[in-house]
Amino acid sequence: MPFYRTDELKTGTLVGEDDYGNKYYQNPMYFMGRSRWVEYSPAVGMDYDGSQVPPEWHRWLSYMSDEPPTVAKLVKYPWMQKHTENLSGTPQAYVPYSTVPAKIQAWTPPPKKR
Amino acid sequence: MLRLWPLRQALTTTGSLRLAPTCLTNKKSTAAQPAPQLVEVYVNDKQVFVEPGTTVLQACAAAGVEIPRFCYHERLAVAGNCRMCLVEVENQLHPVLMPVMKGMRVKTDSPMTKKAREGVMEFLLMNHPLDCPICDQGGECDLQDQSMAFGSDRSRFTDMDFSGKRAVEDKNVGPLIKTIMTRCIHCTRCIRFASEVAGVDDLGTTGRGNEMQVGTYVEKMFKSELSGNIIDLCPVGALTSKPYAFSARPWETRKIESVDVMDALGSNIVVSMRTNEVMRILPRMNEAINEEWISDKTRFAYDGLKRQRITTPFVKNEKGELVATDWENAFFTINNKLKGIDGDQIAAVAGGLVDAEALTALKDLMNRLGSENLCTEEVFPMDGTGTDLRVNYLMNSTIQGVEEADVLLLVGTNPRYEAPVLNARIRKSWIHNELKVGLVGSPVDLTYTYSHLGDTAQVLEELLSGCHPFSEVIGSAKKPMIVVGSSALQKEDGSALLKAAVSLANRLQATTRVEKSWKVLNVLHRVASQVAALDLGYKAGVSRILKNKPQVLYLLGADEGRVKRDDLRPDTFVIYQGHHGDQGALMADVILPGSAYTEKDATYVNTEGRAQLTRQAVTPPGMARNDWKIIRALSEFIKGTSTPRPLIPPQRFLKDFYMTDAISRASPTMAKCVQAASAAETC
Amino acid sequence: MLIICSFVSANAILKNVARSALAVQQRTNYKQVGKCDPDMEWKPIMDRASQTVFWTELLKGLSITLGYLFKEPATINYPFEKGPLSPRFRGEHALRRYPSGEERCIACKLCEAICPAQAITIEAEPRSDGSRRTTRYDIDMTKCIYCGFCQEACPVDAIVEGPNFEFSTETREELLYNKEKLLTNGDKWESEIAANIQADYLYSGYLTIEYLSLSCLAVAMQAASSADFPE
Repeated sequence: MPFYRTDELKTGTLVGEDDYGNKYYQNPMYFMGRSRWVEYSPAVGMDYDGSQVPPEWHRWLSYMSDEPPTVAKLVKYPWMQKHTENLSGTPQAYVPYSTVPAKIQAWTPPPKKR
Repeated sequence: MLRLWPLRQALTTTGSLRLAPTCLTNKKSTAAQPAPQLVEVYVNDKQVFVEPGTTVLQACAAAGVEIPRFCYHERLAVAGNCRMCLVEVENQLHPVLMPVMKGMRVKTDSPMTKKAREGVMEFLLMNHPLDCPICDQGGECDLQDQSMAFGSDRSRFTDMDFSGKRAVEDKNVGPLIKTIMTRCIHCTRCIRFASEVAGVDDLGTTGRGNEMQVGTYVEKMFKSELSGNIIDLCPVGALTSKPYAFSARPWETRKIESVDVMDALGSNIVVSMRTNEVMRILPRMNEAINEEWISDKTRFAYDGLKRQRITTPFVKNEKGELVATDWENAFFTINNKLKGIDGDQIAAVAGGLVDAEALTALKDLMNRLGSENLCTEEVFPMDGTGTDLRVNYLMNSTIQGVEEADVLLLVGTNPRYEAPVLNARIRKSWIHNELKVGLVGSPVDLTYTYSHLGDTAQVLEELLSGCHPFSEVIGSAKKPMIVVGSSALQKEDGSALLKAAVSLANRLQATTRVEKSWKVLNVLHRVASQVAALDLGYKAGVSRILKNKPQVLYLLGADEGRVKRDDLRPDTFVIYQGHHGDQGALMADVILPGSAYTEKDATYVNTEGRAQLTRQAVTPPGMARNDWKIIRALSEFIKGTSTPRPLIPPQRFLKDFYMTDAISRASPTMAKCVQAASAAETC
Repeated sequence: MLIICSFVSANAILKNVARSALAVQQRTNYKQVGKCDPDMEWKPIMDRASQTVFWTELLKGLSITLGYLFKEPATINYPFEKGPLSPRFRGEHALRRYPSGEERCIACKLCEAICPAQAITIEAEPRSDGSRRTTRYDIDMTKCIYCGFCQEACPVDAIVEGPNFEFSTETREELLYNKEKLLTNGDKWESEIAANIQADYLYSGYLTIEYLSLSCLAVAMQAASSADFPE
């Protein structure tokens, strides 16, 4: 299955696994850009997508830091939301809407008294 | 008491000109001054000649140099407490508000001046919060601008962690003005405005030095009808507008110069617009009308333009309910109703906010339908000469004329609330020009002292006959003014009151003391449309309609409820055209959505008879349209039902072609052509 | 040599004189810039012919291709491997919150003013507690040019361009972000955004907020308003 998805076989050390089942590997033998990779969770099957990497691992995977979130913990606040993949094209996709009420309040005739 | 304020006493009694009277905003009071000998002053080594008694600031302005200032304002008394205006004069720092002396050498760009300004600015900023991003003044702030232009480029303030910056508790001064007193730099412009222009001694300072605070002493509302002006006066963000709070930035709004219609003065305003929404209304300078003040109703009532708006036409269905519909259906309904109805069974009433264009269009339409029943909601006595002569219903000696007047007689009016800006003008004349004011009518709290002559119109008769003590005062006046409030003319005895006022005015006019060019009689109207309507030949008052009971009634923005449904026949067809769902719309069978004064280019005539133009700031909401266009479109529908006549163009034959204007009619060649062409056609 | 020169100049003079009559140009000096003509000796001819017959050049080229089959690939296998990004990378926008959960944006509208693409629309009003807050914060991501001026202008680090670039959508309208969407972005990406700002604080303007002087803000606001008030 991994080979079918990635079309290549690489060996590396498992650095960690995130909450979604994605596994992260590293092998500094490869040049930068190939030295860190993700093996998407088997749960997603062939619907893997680049946006499935959560922010903490995104930072490590994009070489912004050398310390994976397992080593250097990132901030975590109670109000933070769970990561989602790019939902475009799914029913949960974001649809824009106005966050303000209408500027003009129209007058409506009062109901006729009986 | 401002009349006896020490500065003024010093001016008049000792004669030592510490300050030129021109600084006291009054240009008329310099009556008995010796012929001025110009004084020579050097500003940055540039020679200028100014009148003695002018301030250094004015001399600098004459030399084209602008001096930074916070506390100084042309229309307020000089305070001199912000220290920003320091300049170098003969190797010493002096405030520019002192009078010029002969041969004075002023240096406004010397290192000493620069350093002084930076120092003052540093002091001001030390106790000023750094909350520009949340401050509504941001982008139009004098402190920002001047710290940019004259301040130091770095701060030495490091005390943040110890005593911190000065903080002052905010005051609640009512629903219009938001105070953030920590930002106050104690220029006292608001205090001076309140006590000098508004005539309300509500504001003042408490404490000294670092403890100084501007406020209302005790927590209370700043009770003034001109209170909004202190928002404009405040050079920082200490006083900002509560309704406008946080809603827009000055750089993102478009400013449209327009005219106010909340009272009959027609104050000049600037409408700030953003994303098709009126964000706020500011005054525009017009010396003849509102100087630079506007009333609170003018300034803050704009949010009413966003509520209760009629956005679609409505037509009553069989069940008697108003249903939203389109323009075509509404016009068809009106047209069907108008078929076969006699012209004199149709009447129209114009309300107080209608523009002259709509009035004209409606009058044309009504006249074409054969109706002369056009009237205004606001009553004005029509007997006697009535409204035939324009002088009978205008404020003839003009608003600015108040400053020249020496005796003012107010009849049945409270100018403080009917025309607040005029009232400020009266107060200004009362302070600087020793204006004597008399009031006929119930006593009201004006912002100046006045002699209360009596409650009833009887007093006018007494004044006329000369048996009233005040008749001596008014009789000896060179420029007397009688201001009759239109509110007093609404009752049945209004015409008698007006007649009495007119005869008194004529008596005074006839005396030799009063110049022929000076007009004594003034009518102060309350609504913006009245003068234009009377100019256009509308009859004032709805009494004729109440008597005639027409079959079709056209209400053009008539919302005051002078004509009620019960006053009419049960089957009267009422058309209402206007912008708000108010009393007029409630009684209507067809409602046509019009536009408010910020939504159209329209002419309004103020109580002086001055025609002014409002400019369209935003588009009318929904399907609403400009009022005169609605009437014009309606006339097209009504036209369609008349018996069809062939459309004959004026130039049908060749002989019609040659002579169409003055030049071609004068041309012998063309005449020959006509002759030849007619001959050719006949044969 | 001299003779040739004199001949050339004489010729030129003559030509100029006779130009009107004789509109013909005559080249007297030129250089070979193209390929030289092939050597037509027997040996070179044979060499060329044998190279063509035995495909030597073709095989040489294919051997390089064959060699790369056994080498490490130079491409990265997206989305399993991703290219390096800077902590300053300017990707999808987000509105941040304070650690307490309070939204940072104070509706000063400086981002709206500075936005060169005019992609930002803000409307604000006092919140019930009297603080200055936006009611509308829309970014038209189809207009945005990702210049990052908005995050530079922001005095409270509220609007940031986060590290996410994988936000492509299937419809245009999904790119018209409103305030809720931007706050949600911030809530999802805060851990990484905060870490990136921390990593970069020495080099960016973020520290200066504490030393921000009034005139700095005045400069920004002045710049914004000077467009309207040329005085």
